[in-house]
Amino acid sequence: MNNDKINETGLSKEELFSFVDHDELESEKITAPRYSYWQSVFRVFFRKKINIVILTLLFIIIMFAYIYPLVYHYDPFANLNRPEMKHLNPSKAIKVMGLSIHSILGTGASGQSTFDAIWNGSKISISLAFVCAAINMTIGVLLGAVWGFSKRFDIFMTEVYNILGNVPYVLFISVMVMLFSASFWTMVFALTITGWLGIAYFIRTQVVIIRDREYNLASKCLGTSTVKIALKNILPFMTSVIVTLLASEIPSYISYEVFLSYIGMGLSDMSLGKLIYSAESSMVTPGWEFEFWSPVAISSIITVVLYVVGQNLGDASDPRTHM
Amino acid sequence: MTKYLIKRLLHGLLSVVAVVGLVMMLIYSLMNRNLIFVNDPQYTKLSNNVKTVYMHQQWEAYGYIDYENYTDFISQLHLQGEMSDSEYESAKILGRDATKDNKVTQKYVKMFTEHYEDLGWKVTRLNAISYGGNRIAAGGDSKLLASRDIPIFKRMWEYFSKIIKIEDVNYAKNIVGDRGLTFTLHDPIYDGSFSPAIIGNGTEHKYLLYFDSQFPYIHQNIIKIKLGTSYSVKKGIDVWDNITTRQGSYVMRTVKFPTGLVEQSADDLHTARYIEGSRDALAMNRDRFVDDYTNVDTYKNSMSRIGFSFVIGIISVLIAYVIGIPVGVIMARKKDKLVDKIGTIYVIFIIAVPSLAYIFLFKAIGGKLGLPTTFITERLTTSMYILPIISLSLPSIAGLMRWMRRYMIDQMNSDYVKFARSGGLTENEIFSKHILKNAAIPIIHGIPGSILGSLTGAIITERVYVVPGAGNLLTTAINNYDNGVIVGVTLFYAMLSIISIILGDILMATVDPRISYTTKSR
Repeated sequence: MNNDKINETGLSKEELFSFVDHDELESEKITAPRYSYWQSVFRVFFRKKINIVILTLLFIIIMFAYIYPLVYHYDPFANLNRPEMKHLNPSKAIKVMGLSIHSILGTGASGQSTFDAIWNGSKISISLAFVCAAINMTIGVLLGAVWGFSKRFDIFMTEVYNILGNVPYVLFISVMVMLFSASFWTMVFALTITGWLGIAYFIRTQVVIIRDREYNLASKCLGTSTVKIALKNILPFMTSVIVTLLASEIPSYISYEVFLSYIGMGLSDMSLGKLIYSAESSMVTPGWEFEFWSPVAISSIITVVLYVVGQNLGDASDPRTHM
Repeated sequence: MTKYLIKRLLHGLLSVVAVVGLVMMLIYSLMNRNLIFVNDPQYTKLSNNVKTVYMHQQWEAYGYIDYENYTDFISQLHLQGEMSDSEYESAKILGRDATKDNKVTQKYVKMFTEHYEDLGWKVTRLNAISYGGNRIAAGGDSKLLASRDIPIFKRMWEYFSKIIKIEDVNYAKNIVGDRGLTFTLHDPIYDGSFSPAIIGNGTEHKYLLYFDSQFPYIHQNIIKIKLGTSYSVKKGIDVWDNITTRQGSYVMRTVKFPTGLVEQSADDLHTARYIEGSRDALAMNRDRFVDDYTNVDTYKNSMSRIGFSFVIGIISVLIAYVIGIPVGVIMARKKDKLVDKIGTIYVIFIIAVPSLAYIFLFKAIGGKLGLPTTFITERLTTSMYILPIISLSLPSIAGLMRWMRRYMIDQMNSDYVKFARSGGLTENEIFSKHILKNAAIPIIHGIPGSILGSLTGAIITERVYVVPGAGNLLTTAINNYDNGVIVGVTLFYAMLSIISIILGDILMATVDPRISYTTKSR
């Protein structure tokens, strides 16, 4: 009787409802497709072909900045007594030195190879940017999160922000440089002593926006501790914001180092900024322009590559793009 | 609203005071004060005790310490008549060390030491330095001095109590005629034609209020702002005067001096200030002036530092808003289309490339096109302004494009937009009447900041194009340890930033009726 009725609908057996036994074990399983956050981030990141190109560029830059100076020892004053080696543009340098990697960008004021000088400088500048970004981001994100959560801390920190934010940054840095001489770690200290403040303020604003959303309110009502809300509810939401921020922070330290060198408060080492600063007079000398433009161009390439990688990684780390 | 704003302003002023305190602590306590001697030729010439004394004198001049010298101390006592001539003569002689002082000297050294130790100063006795025997080394005479680091609160109090200076009728000591203020409708400088002025006698400035042909046409000397006096860059000049005084070459005009002498001169008689005894000191002054109000400024042909910075800044701000906002709107409308992509590349270029690099790039391109790349104050042409203005406006355009696009896109998914669309409005209407108005609010908040910010000048741009503006003030002051200027400039910047935030809030509340700073309104 029953079977006949089913056949009247003209559907096969598979398409019809049938009784399923209740299975305790099976009902505990979650059947959504497997999702791994970081795997999805990289899947989305590599979906764009341009990212592979830029990542390759970044790899080349890192290799040149960190491995090249190790392999080839660079001495800026090796050609100091050879006037025929000084201020050569690339074509002349190739004639004098022969076509090699050292001669393709010409030579500088003391006969040093511009190419070698640039990568030695890049090593210092990139390291400075990475170290400063790591310190500032860690302190900034942690303090910013606390700042956003605690109302009492908020009042205090806003005051601190109003006061420290109004002290000219250049002043802080120059005082530090005058106190401890312009070494690498002094510069790190100077750039991080108040540098985290802006990041912390940015994170605080983001936390304040998300903090009182309904899902957090619900979580709070269910008795989740604040620490757990911060780590499990808010941090995943902020990952893309933090990565995007990091993307603009790292190039900004390179730019800032260039700026400081230009106004005469930079590092004593031959960083990218110092290189540009010391080649400034070459820019207006006919035939010597290359000495100035090549560090400028390379530093621009480095900052653009770092920025684009960071931005695209930031886009990819936003879970909404993982669909 | 008014109550709220006054509260905000007071709060802002408090943080300005804290900023100044912090900066004072940084430069006076933390910075190595021996660095001021690095390029000092005088310092290298001196040796031994004289060098130590010189160092203390310089530190006092730069504002680090309070300092007093035994020799000055006793000559002061002598002048006041508390010491006889013979006593003074013997007290002047300091022994090679404390045990070798004569009786009189011992008495006064004790007095000096007790006086300054009671005040909490540190008294230092520098014993004579000799090459063996009795010969005293160059600069090795024994010295007695007292000094102390100026306490931070005393320093702050002295600074803030001197910021605003109001004219005082009892300022000048020797004046001709009666002390007091006179109001006249016929300014004597204009030879009796109608021009109201207030003239003081006994005040520091002769003209307290007057009209002339220079912007802003009406001038006052009653209240003067003193931000801090320069010591090493422009000795004795206040920061405020430094940035507001006109620059360039002299403008000669026919001037009739108070004595009736008429000649071609650049003197601006309206700025006459009192200097005691100056008329008798110089024949030149006797020919021209009838009293001691002889210290005059001169007419110059180009703008002040702040004037240059402001003109360049304000034009570039205008250009940035006029170009940046429409482009940002177009980018948002054509999201992911070609226009958006080109715009994004430009924004990335500006954000990522070091600012120094693109400013030099613009300079090189401009130079190739035949535009002047350096500023020459003496021969000023309009074309000299073009490159600095472009260099300043291109990055601001990028910033505005980026944020305008961001805010527009954030608004595009709002419910009210969907509602408007379902109501049958055209895309143009939705964008121009609904989204733009909402997206522009955070942009409007930044307008006062960018306008006031152009008063501070731009460090790199002004340096690259040799603009005589205010941007380099702070960096030059830092490089020359000009502490008074550093504090003054910081105060100026901090005031501007606080005022612009408050103005931004007011402006935002004016354009957006939903924003209210009082709690009871809803």
